[in-house]
Amino acid sequence: MNVIRQALVLVGKDMLLEWRGRSRFISVLLFGVVTLLLFSFAVGPDSVALRAAAAGFLVLALLLSSTLSLSESFRLEQEERALEGLVLLPVDPVALFYGKAIGNTLFLLLLAPIFTPVALVLYSVELGAMKILTLVGLWALAAAGLSAPGTLYAAMTSRLRSQDVLLPLLLFPLVVPVLMGSVKAMALVLGGDPLEQLRSWTVLLGGFAVIYWSLCGLLFPYAIEEGG
Amino acid sequence: MPDGTIVGGWSYVIAAYAITAVGLAAYFWSLRRRLKQIHNED
Amino acid sequence: MTRRIFGVRTLGLLGLGLLLVGSYFGLFVAPAERYMGQVQRIMYVHVPCAWIAMVCYTAAFVFAVIGLWNGKPRWDARTTGAIEVGAVLNALLLVQGSIWARATWGVWWDWDVRLTTSLVMLLLFAGVLALRSFVDDSDRRATWTAVATIVAFVDVPLVYFCVRWWRSLHQTQSTPETVSPAMVLPLRLNAIAILLIAIWLIAQRAKLERERLRKEQVDEPARVTAGLEVTDA
Repeated sequence: MNVIRQALVLVGKDMLLEWRGRSRFISVLLFGVVTLLLFSFAVGPDSVALRAAAAGFLVLALLLSSTLSLSESFRLEQEERALEGLVLLPVDPVALFYGKAIGNTLFLLLLAPIFTPVALVLYSVELGAMKILTLVGLWALAAAGLSAPGTLYAAMTSRLRSQDVLLPLLLFPLVVPVLMGSVKAMALVLGGDPLEQLRSWTVLLGGFAVIYWSLCGLLFPYAIEEGG
Repeated sequence: MPDGTIVGGWSYVIAAYAITAVGLAAYFWSLRRRLKQIHNED
Repeated sequence: MTRRIFGVRTLGLLGLGLLLVGSYFGLFVAPAERYMGQVQRIMYVHVPCAWIAMVCYTAAFVFAVIGLWNGKPRWDARTTGAIEVGAVLNALLLVQGSIWARATWGVWWDWDVRLTTSLVMLLLFAGVLALRSFVDDSDRRATWTAVATIVAFVDVPLVYFCVRWWRSLHQTQSTPETVSPAMVLPLRLNAIAILLIAIWLIAQRAKLERERLRKEQVDEPARVTAGLEVTDA
């Protein structure tokens, strides 16, 4: 119970900091929109090809933006040595992990209201309200799946010189199931689902999130303990 | 011979075995070199 | 000490010998396969590499769990050895698989379940080795390597099932499941051979890691003290 309360307090703290430094969120947002635009330039003005790849581009934009937001989420703590302060305080490291992971998930979730419409407009896909809701639900699952291992790895790489290279290097192969699962599921939402495969992909995304939210919570205390 | 059999292909087989041998040897050599380097620095 | 290294080396030499015998059987004694002809002989080195690469990664996972639990540096050395040797076999496996694909399907790469999973697996564990190379503090390096190894290993079955679903509408593997006894022998010989060689290489790599650690501790007590002062300030 105490762990949950601590985690929520930490989420509140991070969200407050996020709100005060809105430029960070806006930068990541712009970065994602620019990537969405670049994908369409790479494929060319062929609306059929763009529509077919829309789900893939949307998830790639999420993935690329996530590495920025994840490494940023620990940079602040690192600059002021605040992480060490937090570890020294009677804060459960498990609470620290879940606080950070929930914060990162919320951050990525907040990108959806901008990314999704931009992608739908740019790639000329038209959807009903129900399908858009499903899309947001899948987005939330993907964001959760990215955030758990992302938070663990960002906590480690943020202390290293080459963090900007290392985080994507570690995270991208790991989240291949999230990428495949969400792209397939979103493509089914966008293009119709004659074989009713959406459920299995959703279960896969959920399974990945559950496995890594538990495993990373278990491993996080080891990752941030002060060695020697 | 049944239809659809791949005829020949020895060059592929030789390439696969040769690359495996060279790869293992190269890794072994790099280990040796790294070990020697550490000993020389002492 | 010398005796033990001698023991492992004997294992390695035995493995090399077996590899020669097994490959001889695979190349010259076993019959050509009905459909794939001579090309199928790649299997006698390809499949053992795949098995043993997987064994190496599994061993790395087990060593990582033990190392995380008891914090002894020798388990970190073993984990590193197992990952690195696993990655070497994994890389060879990909090249062989690519040659196989070219010979049988006419393309250098096929998004086959096992081939694709192997590629992701190599990238996963190469990432762990990269992370490791950037950490200066030895205790932290050991812990982080163990954590990253566990996280990466758990991903392997997920990737496998995901790729299988991902391409579920395509054909399944054309790897022959029914193999004649003349084909089983070289397969088994080479599997044991590569296992022995892998154990030998892992032992060598672990030794290298232990020597490095010893050197670090001899060379840099000054740096450690300095680091402590900065933390206290």
